[in-house]
Amino acid sequence: MQNLFLLLFAGYIGGLLLPLCFPTKPAVQNILAHGSAGLASGAGILLGVTGLFAPEPWTASVQSTIPFLSFAVRLDSLASLFVLTISLVGLVASIYAIGYVTEFYGRASIAALGALFNGFLLSMTLVVIADNGFFFLIVWELMSLLSYFLVVTEYEKAEVRYAGFFYLVMTHVGTAFIILAFLIFFQAGGSFSFEAFRHPEQPLPEGIRTLVFLMALIGFGTKAGIVPLHVWLPYAHPSAPSHISALMSGVMIKTAIYALVRVYFDFLGGQFPWWWGFIVLVIGAVSALLGVMYALMEHDLKSLLAYHSVENIGIILLGIGAGMIFQTYGLTEFAALGLLAGLYHTINHAMFKALLFLGAGSLLYATHTRNMEEYGGLLRRMPWTGAFFLIGAVSISALPPTNGFVSEWLIFQSLFLSFHLPTVLLKFMLPLAAAALALTSVLALACFAKAFGISFLALPRSSHARLAEEVPITMRIAMGLLAVVCVLLGLAPMVVVPMLDRVVTPFAGQSIEGKVLALDGWALAPVNMEFSSLSTPVLALLLVALSMLGLGLVAAFGGLVKQRYYKTWGCGINLTPRMEYTATGFVQPIKRVFGAIYQPTVKLETELLEESRYFAKRRHFEFHIEPVFQKYLYDPVVACFIGMAERLRVIQGGSLHLYLAYIFVTLIVLLLFAV
Amino acid sequence: MLQAIILVVAQMIVLLAVSPFLVGLIRKVKARLQLRRGASVLQPYADLAKLFRKQPVVSTTTSWIFTATPYIVFASTLAAGLLIPIFVSITPLDFAGNIIAVVYLLALGTFFLMLAGLDAGSSFGGMGSSREAIVASLTEPAMILSIFAIALTKGSTNLSTIVHKTALLEGIATDPSPYLMALAALLIVALAETGRVPVDNPATHLELTMIHEAMVLEYSGRYLALIEWAAGLKLAVFLSLIANVFAPWGIATTLAPTAMGIGLLAYLLKVSGLAVLIGILESMFAKLRLFRVTDLLGVAFILALLGLLFFYILRS
Amino acid sequence: MQISSHIGSQLVDLCSALLLLTCFAIVAQRRLSACVDLFALQSAFLVLTAALVAFLTGNHHIYIAAGLTCLIKVIIIPRVLKKVIERLNVKRELVMNVNVPAGLLICGGLVMLAFFITQPILPLGFLLTRDSLAIAFAIVLIGFFTMIARQKAVSQLVGFLVMENGLFLGATAATYGMPLIVELGVFFDVLIAVLIAGIYTNRLQDAFDSVDTSHLTGLKE
Repeated sequence: MQNLFLLLFAGYIGGLLLPLCFPTKPAVQNILAHGSAGLASGAGILLGVTGLFAPEPWTASVQSTIPFLSFAVRLDSLASLFVLTISLVGLVASIYAIGYVTEFYGRASIAALGALFNGFLLSMTLVVIADNGFFFLIVWELMSLLSYFLVVTEYEKAEVRYAGFFYLVMTHVGTAFIILAFLIFFQAGGSFSFEAFRHPEQPLPEGIRTLVFLMALIGFGTKAGIVPLHVWLPYAHPSAPSHISALMSGVMIKTAIYALVRVYFDFLGGQFPWWWGFIVLVIGAVSALLGVMYALMEHDLKSLLAYHSVENIGIILLGIGAGMIFQTYGLTEFAALGLLAGLYHTINHAMFKALLFLGAGSLLYATHTRNMEEYGGLLRRMPWTGAFFLIGAVSISALPPTNGFVSEWLIFQSLFLSFHLPTVLLKFMLPLAAAALALTSVLALACFAKAFGISFLALPRSSHARLAEEVPITMRIAMGLLAVVCVLLGLAPMVVVPMLDRVVTPFAGQSIEGKVLALDGWALAPVNMEFSSLSTPVLALLLVALSMLGLGLVAAFGGLVKQRYYKTWGCGINLTPRMEYTATGFVQPIKRVFGAIYQPTVKLETELLEESRYFAKRRHFEFHIEPVFQKYLYDPVVACFIGMAERLRVIQGGSLHLYLAYIFVTLIVLLLFAV
Repeated sequence: MLQAIILVVAQMIVLLAVSPFLVGLIRKVKARLQLRRGASVLQPYADLAKLFRKQPVVSTTTSWIFTATPYIVFASTLAAGLLIPIFVSITPLDFAGNIIAVVYLLALGTFFLMLAGLDAGSSFGGMGSSREAIVASLTEPAMILSIFAIALTKGSTNLSTIVHKTALLEGIATDPSPYLMALAALLIVALAETGRVPVDNPATHLELTMIHEAMVLEYSGRYLALIEWAAGLKLAVFLSLIANVFAPWGIATTLAPTAMGIGLLAYLLKVSGLAVLIGILESMFAKLRLFRVTDLLGVAFILALLGLLFFYILRS
Repeated sequence: MQISSHIGSQLVDLCSALLLLTCFAIVAQRRLSACVDLFALQSAFLVLTAALVAFLTGNHHIYIAAGLTCLIKVIIIPRVLKKVIERLNVKRELVMNVNVPAGLLICGGLVMLAFFITQPILPLGFLLTRDSLAIAFAIVLIGFFTMIARQKAVSQLVGFLVMENGLFLGATAATYGMPLIVELGVFFDVLIAVLIAGIYTNRLQDAFDSVDTSHLTGLKE
């Protein structure tokens, strides 16, 4: 395992340094950086798999001269799962990048992009295997900074700079809370090692534990993008190059989920009051609903996907929150199920979100625009990308028999088990969360019907779309790989569940593999066959067989008459793209029904013909939805800071002597204190 | 194993055979209530046979999604039908998916229908898809909650278990009120999901009112036949679900031939009764405006919620 | 005996659940005449509940109250209100202070509130009807909410009457009915209230050409 880890480390470092040796050849830099990253992430996949099935966690450490800091790594089953996920997405992103970054030749430094890409992957891997609080904070910060630089790759655009700045500020606010949480642990345990966090010398008092819970929730929640700390995410993720977006949305925000599970179930030992889990559950439900609702109104494909990340983080938290509630009441079996469902969705989301972002990147590559209203008819022009995007869309919409469905189904089941809980409030709130999940998933379905239908179907809506061509082979291979993984994760829960079971067993104190899998693994049956069961392989087989039956019926009843092709009837005139339903039009009913949430403002200006006021010469339509959180939560805070800064400006005289005087006075005061 | 396969095939044949009849029956009831003689209840069979033989016209704008959708919709709806008990309370395929899987299988069909609506590029299709999106999103939470209320009373989300236990009068004793609320909610959901008045009107082709018909406007020939059959199947699925979950009287609980015969007869009577009820309901109400549908589905959601509340609070 | 009392209490619960259901129907209904019909239906369920309680407990004075309810709330008041609606020529409520789905959600919340508030006192009540108390309380709250949410005087009146139904159910549930004399007084009051409100609505129509009570804000100057 050590060798694998060293290989991974060397690969990423090599990918970081090698391209810098060929300053003038972007093609060589490209191959070196991404080839090396691919090699390293391949090693990462092996490392993750062996780590998952290793009987004992693998540990290694290098002492440093800095007090309290040791470069300690520990690869337990939870860390292995995330290493595996990160590496898998990393491998695919590397393959994809070889084709995709040709876009940036001459516009950005490929060496820098490749180096940052490698560093980013390495830092994420280290985050999940770090075994020392200090070390964790360093790599966490490294991950944030590197991703910031990747976000601002196209720094010449003003909105990208804004997105980057916003991201930088938010992530540091989050980091501040994480540092506080870790300092509390440090004070109790006297050491930054995670072992000391796990078993402090004297147990933390209840109030302090609550403080840690909240700090971690805010700190890691900022990175994960929970509502209302999500506002940076829809700006930052789309601004990065698409393979980076895939990494950020697919796996970077998952490191926050990792950290939350680590802190709550590992460090705090799974002993908490019921309202912790309840808060996580409520945040999950709200994030899921608002995430998907804002996604529906978004017509920039990448921003839409970014909002869906908020939604899916919410869904993951629903599973984890349910697990925490069950844990409180000692229902370890169900707690394990909730946690397992949450983690299953974490992996699934990593895969289909990365796939969708890569698909969006391919569209951007082919059409040079992110605006969905300028797409259309792309399925005929880009059949491969279209097919892969469709698989991603079906998965994220949680339709059977894909992976998204399996994990949401498990979350449903764990929420349904709430009738075993002792208090009426919780018995009642968990089904409501299930209703919220149902609404979320069907809105996601509507959103992806829109995203796929408007982008890929009907007539091209602009010359960008008309002239689009299929993307290079490496990009197609990358998307194809992820599509296959998505399908497999859905059809083979018998492989995934035992892996996840190894992860949750230490935390929930019970292995539930035997309780979740039934019929030799061909069916999922949480808690028993009597309560619920699902077999996606059989469902998939059934769907295929019944489609064949449909074909058979057609052949039997009418014979396969040759079909005739003719243009769509356009009420007597030729159909043009302008008559098609737009993305804006598609979501109009939803906008209206949920008007209380969107607070839409619509502006319609019509210029009429002078001859007749029944004919319009020109129409201008625009609508905006109120960015509620930014307006009522962030703007006041920002205004407050700016106001304070204005006040403090008094001391800024601009004269060098004045500043020297400040330093002098400070020195004197400090000296006086010292005495 | 062989027995299981025979049962599945039998269930499939019953569903396929009975669904056009239900559509015809509803039309007949509506016609009689309007003092018309109406077409024979067997008319939908003739329609299907004719559509299968006709040459389909496919728009040049469309992609493979358009031609694949009828098969996917047909398969997913029929698959959902095979997961629920029809005339025997123990379905062989019960292990393949519980009630949530049924809901999501139907959603799979809806998703592809929405895509197909957008594919031809005409405004009608887009309009239908867009409206279907909002109706589907409002029915889903009510459906899940009412399902939960039912599942609670039997301590299971597996349809066979629920039906079997109810048929044998087993399970957690409870008041009738949670059932009543869940039944009312599920009825409204069924009307909305199968595109019936007052949510949608299956008999119209007016752009102001149509939802489902607008989505499938571009279909013809064998594709339309499959879509129509699938729509009938969806109706049959919902009616069977309601009939067997709330009134599993007469359903065969063993595999004895006489029991199954009685079960089949009882099933036909029950779904026909429900179809007549739907025909009467459709004649009683006018179609609601699209944005008033929220009121109706809001009632369904609240009913399901109350069902849950009543289950927990009464006798707790 | 044990079984029959169990079934009896289930029946009472079912009837009160139906009462609550009609409440929600009233909240969701925009057509005024349908609101009145629903109110009549609700009163009919109330009669049924009261009669059931009377039968099961043997308190015969409840029969009288039930009969009076039937006469006044199922027959007379709906007729009076129908007349008012006919004369005013207002068919439906177009603008509401709270829209229907939001109103339904709020009412759902009110039901939960009612259940949680009555939880501590439930064990103190009679076995037969103790669950109805929570429902009665919920109905009172929903009636109150209807009065706030609606703008037309007629539907506000319906809200008031729904509240009264809730109170009656509560009285039956908590104490197996109030003393008969109090019951009679209440009926008389309700009848008078409806008559006065009917006249008031007519006056409103004459003065403002509308039965929208928000016009009354204009009177403050």
